[in-house]
Amino acid sequence: MTAATQATTSTAAAAPPAVTIRDLTIVYRTPAGELPAVSGVDLDLPPGTITGLVGESGSGKSTLALSLLGAVQRPGRIAAGSIHVDGLGNLVELSAKSLQEARGGEIGYVFQAAQNSLNPLKTVGKQLLDLGRSHGVRDRTALVRSAKELLAGMGLDAARVLDSYQHELSGGMRQRVGIMFALVLNAHVLVLDEPTTALDMISQANVLKIVRAVHTERGLTTLLVTHDIGVVAEVAERIAVMYGGVVVEQGETADVLRAPKHPYARALINAIPRVSGDLSAARPLPGRPPTLGTIPTRGCVFRERCAVYAERQLPACVAEQPPLAPVADGSGRLVACHAVAVEDQQATGETA
Amino acid sequence: MIHKKRSLDGATRESLDRATNGTGTDGTGTDGTGTDGTGTAGAIEARGIVKSFKARGDVLAGRTVRALRGVDFRIPPGGAASFIGESGCGKTTLGRILAGVESFDSGELVLGGVPLAGLAPRKRAPHFRRVQLIHQDPYSALNPTRTVESILRDPLALRAKQTGQSRAWIDGRAREVLDLVGLDPGYVLPRFPHQLSGGMRQRVVIARALTVDPAALVADEAVSMIDVSLRLGVLNLLRELRSTLGVSVLFITHDVATARYIGADGELYVIYRGEIVEHGPTETVLADPVHPYTQCLLSAIPVLHGVEQPGADRLAPTEPLDESQPEDGCLFAARCPFATDRCRTEHPELGHLGGTAHEHACFYPQRRSVVATPLADT
Amino acid sequence: MVTAVEIPTGNTPALTPARRGFWRNLWRVLRRKPTRVAGAVIVALFVVMGVVGPFLYPANLPTDPGNAYAGPSGSHLLGTDFQGTDVLALLVTGSRYVLVAAVIAAACTVVVGTGIGLYAGYRRGGPDSVLMRITDFIITIPGLPLLLVLSTLWKYSNPLTMGLVLGVTGWGSVARAVRSQTLSLRERGFIEAARGLGLSTAHVVRKELLPNVAPYVAMNLLISVTVYIYLEVGLFFLGVLPFNENNWGVMISQAVQNGVTQTGQGLAYLLSPLVAILLLTLGIVLLVDAMDEVFNPRLRED
Ligand SMILES: Nc1ncnc2c1ncn2[C@@H]1O[C@H](COP(=O)(O)OP(=O)(O)OP(=O)(O)O)[C@@H](O)[C@H]1O
Ligand SMILES: Nc1ncnc2c1ncn2[C@@H]1O[C@H](COP(=O)(O)OP(=O)(O)OP(=O)(O)O)[C@@H](O)[C@H]1O
Ligand code: SF4
Ligand SMILES: [Mg+2]
Ligand SMILES: [Mg+2]
Repeated sequence: MTAATQATTSTAAAAPPAVTIRDLTIVYRTPAGELPAVSGVDLDLPPGTITGLVGESGSGKSTLALSLLGAVQRPGRIAAGSIHVDGLGNLVELSAKSLQEARGGEIGYVFQAAQNSLNPLKTVGKQLLDLGRSHGVRDRTALVRSAKELLAGMGLDAARVLDSYQHELSGGMRQRVGIMFALVLNAHVLVLDEPTTALDMISQANVLKIVRAVHTERGLTTLLVTHDIGVVAEVAERIAVMYGGVVVEQGETADVLRAPKHPYARALINAIPRVSGDLSAARPLPGRPPTLGTIPTRGCVFRERCAVYAERQLPACVAEQPPLAPVADGSGRLVACHAVAVEDQQATGETA
Repeated sequence: MIHKKRSLDGATRESLDRATNGTGTDGTGTDGTGTDGTGTAGAIEARGIVKSFKARGDVLAGRTVRALRGVDFRIPPGGAASFIGESGCGKTTLGRILAGVESFDSGELVLGGVPLAGLAPRKRAPHFRRVQLIHQDPYSALNPTRTVESILRDPLALRAKQTGQSRAWIDGRAREVLDLVGLDPGYVLPRFPHQLSGGMRQRVVIARALTVDPAALVADEAVSMIDVSLRLGVLNLLRELRSTLGVSVLFITHDVATARYIGADGELYVIYRGEIVEHGPTETVLADPVHPYTQCLLSAIPVLHGVEQPGADRLAPTEPLDESQPEDGCLFAARCPFATDRCRTEHPELGHLGGTAHEHACFYPQRRSVVATPLADT
Repeated sequence: MVTAVEIPTGNTPALTPARRGFWRNLWRVLRRKPTRVAGAVIVALFVVMGVVGPFLYPANLPTDPGNAYAGPSGSHLLGTDFQGTDVLALLVTGSRYVLVAAVIAAACTVVVGTGIGLYAGYRRGGPDSVLMRITDFIITIPGLPLLLVLSTLWKYSNPLTMGLVLGVTGWGSVARAVRSQTLSLRERGFIEAARGLGLSTAHVVRKELLPNVAPYVAMNLLISVTVYIYLEVGLFFLGVLPFNENNWGVMISQAVQNGVTQTGQGLAYLLSPLVAILLLTLGIVLLVDAMDEVFNPRLRED
């Protein structure tokens, strides 16, 4: 466990990332042709950290997360890019069989709406054995034992839960069962898609506490997908903000929340009401989030709603999507915005 | 107590036909602390509302779920009352009762100053109509096969028939209510619900509610299914309707921050297992909660690390609600970190905290600051 | 009055004219798949056949015993029957009875079934239990024997009586299905909202519920037509119904009675009505695929 704790405390720069996504583009076939739901995304998941992926509905979070499983379903397909997972290699090039083994094995995944993704006709225990069988697990007693350990660790009565059907468990309990399924085969990479969305605050706090605990205890590399910045702020060290299929900002959570650089990240954070402090600080964001068919194909994806563009009308914003590039302040922050790049240049120009 | 006996006069009748364009109740009626007896004309009051259900599902099947166990509250015209509590505490049931779509077992409702107790069911309908429900899911709240124009037209046509208005009035009014909710009528009218964004849909739902000149809107998780970037717009709309039209808003949510945003100047009710356990001016309850349940609830709000610091007394998450926990004594005793033997046997009643408007139902009220506060440097 | 007017930005989809007429919608949706157009053409041909066809031929078709059981030829495109009558003429003149009766029956089924289903589902409680008891009763009546019994009273010489009898005994399953759909729609917010706004039950049923069950009703209408054609033709084929007019069922029955299946002579005579029925069924099945999109504005797009 010491290695794990070390990994959590060490900074992102120290160890090579456990997951490296480069220039990933995922398209869906629609009546209007193939449209990208994820376009040219770069994302690193440093080992031992929780990375929060936030964005609004339709921004491509689930699609991106599914690609980590090599499980992008038709009509979707990975059109370009690579997904390197430590110990597995490039997922895009793996055979269907090795992918199937990696799924649930090396990489644990808790699906969006996991509360409803258990089989209603089988007990949890039976589904556990099915999972073991599909992954060729010989030692079923050990499997059940580690499932029980996980469940007990999450504050559940393990024997009772294994004997229960889905409808006999509350939403929060199902979510924990989902986490147990994701981890019971000793996954190192854990992907959680909207783990708390349908839950109330207290159940949410419980699930987040558990995520944090298993993450630390097992030395996982975790990707937590959510539309709720609060959830990320509570548990994730790093945050990546998505908009229209593009990661627009990435960095340490506290940094990004304190001083978001991308206009969308800034607007989104400002649009959240707070439980304390100045109420009038919250500002609505104009316009509406794009859907697959309405994501601008030229120029910056956020341009139409961007306050900075409205004010400064940079020609580059119309011409091309800005690349996700490091910010000059050396904080390790990555931002995809022409205006930020220009400011950086001016700043470095002045100091030089 | 906040519920004083009040005389019910002709003013209430008038309020039924109050013009909507903002002059009926002036904007100053929004301070709504509810502790005095002024401004009763359009008030909404509930006294001792009790409601039980035969439980569904397999776990509790056959048992009765006591969804509401005697709930009292009052919202002045243009005021706001927010109800927070975890899942299954009876918030939705309360809202539905107020809007007349759910019956209740006992208790008394006063809508727009008119007590419903003496009225025949038929006579109640127009009063219930003045309380409009805004559903959580704006998509299912709009008929997918009809355009916005036809959705707005029907309630307006009904009203036009009753009041002898012309067709032109219907058209004009449809545009007016869309203007009120900040939508461009030319753009929205010919469209189907699925052609609008979540925020626009929810505005259409609100516009439709405004066609009947409601005295109050019951917004049950009204923004939880809307894109994050669009939520604030809808919340702002609800705030403005309070001051411009004098519409009261009953806001039901898990999300304390949105409850505060809507009703920072209103009242906050914390409901647990069908009972109000703490109540007071929103900012007071948030800053200085005294009931352990409120404190647990507020402690569960995620902290925006980097911008906020957690409250000094933040509590660890309690286990979620379990309806099979004992009902004698304090309903929260089994989960309460501070429970004593007295809590497990005796039932604490709602009472005022040292002569203030702040009410609680706990034997050991203790101020704890649990919500996050902004970091000094931001 | 409100500060932040939500102005749609440039990325909103171009406005598809929302209130297009039903027929234009239908055309747009049909055009989307060639199979649908084919289905529509087939169905249209049969409609024309039933409406116009009988006028093209004399009331009493000429017979020519010397040329019985002829195969297809230039003068008799589908050959001749046992009396030497032109099969094409028989097919065309015989279509009206079958089609009219089937359409009437299907219309009856759908109107009664939908009405009862909507009302029972919306009202629930007492009216629901009573109506569903009646529905169960209708469903359990075995259709064929009833028709046989009734045939001793009625002669079914008129497609109208035939259609009514079929329809009145056949609406049970539609009523059940519409009711269960209504029960689930009832829980949707917009129904509750309509009631909350004080709109009448008639309004809710007609304008809120009906459009939402419409695709389902339309599919049932189309499919019932084929079902009733089979039923009718079966009855005539069995020869249990007396006939004094020509129709497809009579044709098949006559062909079999005259030994076509044994001798193989005049195969075109036997096959023509069968192929006609199959073709119409195919046309309808191809059309049914479009119904969801015709009535659902969301599916109608893109
Ligand atoms: N099977 C599919 N076929 C076509 N388009 C799809 C499909 N699945 C997703 N999309 C589209 O891809 C885009 C991204 O979808 P995705 O589910 O990844 O978004 P998300 O960020 O997870 O949103 P949410 O918060 O709603 O879960 C959306 O515009 C969606 O409509
Ligand atoms: N129609 C019903 N039949 C039976 N039980 C019901 C019914 N409606 C609500 N209940 C029960 O009443 C209790 C209160 O439910 P209610 O929906 O009011 O809670 P809530 O506070 O709105 O919860 P949530 O935050 O999950 O929406 C719950 O235990 C619920 O199961
Ligand atoms: S009365 Fe006791 S059990 Fe109930 S909340 Fe207060 S301290 Fe806890
Ligand atoms: Mg998703
Ligand atoms: Mg609710």
